[in-house]
Amino acid sequence: MTEELKVAVERKPNGAVLYTKGYINNVGGEEIANRAYELMDDGVRTLLLNLRDTKIVNSIGISILIEIIEKMMEQGGKIAFCCLTPVIHKTFQIMGLANYAAIFENEETAVKELTL
Amino acid sequence: MTTTDQRQMELTLPMVPDIEIAAARAAGNLARELGMSSEKVDEMMHAVIEACINAREHGYCADNRIYLRFVGTSQGEGRRIDVWVTDRGKGFDPDDERSRRAAPGTAHKRGRGLQLIEAHMDEVDISTSRDGGTTIHMVKYEKKS
Repeated sequence: MTEELKVAVERKPNGAVLYTKGYINNVGGEEIANRAYELMDDGVRTLLLNLRDTKIVNSIGISILIEIIEKMMEQGGKIAFCCLTPVIHKTFQIMGLANYAAIFENEETAVKELTL
Repeated sequence: MTTTDQRQMELTLPMVPDIEIAAARAAGNLARELGMSSEKVDEMMHAVIEACINAREHGYCADNRIYLRFVGTSQGEGRRIDVWVTDRGKGFDPDDERSRRAAPGTAHKRGRGLQLIEAHMDEVDISTSRDGGTTIHMVKYEKKS
């Protein structure tokens, strides 16, 4: 039984948006990390993760998201999230992600605030 | 006089990748049948996922199985769902698990599953012993609106 995560990328003038669809576990987290690191290598320093089609994350997936945040912070960039379900929002707060990455209710607000 | 409605389910699942999703979906279906709100169901499902991952990571057991039992109860003005997640592995130290941190800049980014379970459920009880296996019993409550 596998729950494959799909990731789509949309480049913006000042960064990029990553759209996830499916379960963020170890495999899904690595998939997001690979795409995020490609974008960072390409000079992207502002990255928005839109989780509108993700309903479940686990602690291993979140630990990988934290590693992505760390790497982006080391490079002077920032990562933000939007469109989280209430339980994923709560989970991010418990895991401390909310202290290091902004969380927005919708993409429109996030794009505006991040000047993407 | 109040009536009590109780539904039970037992599952034995192999310890294979992503099997926690099957467990969570089964628990979620039972909770929804009981009439629990989607937010409570989602929280419980995330806790079940973490309990199954815990069993897989700390289990190391010969039978390679996770044993799950769900009991949903609706009585009077309240609903509750009890979940037991059991493995027959080598056990683990819950205090050691709780002491880990997952924030950026810290060494231990993994191992916060127990904290998530405790945050998402109303009651959590862990019975674990070296080579005697682990059972995590957790309860989610909801008052009928």
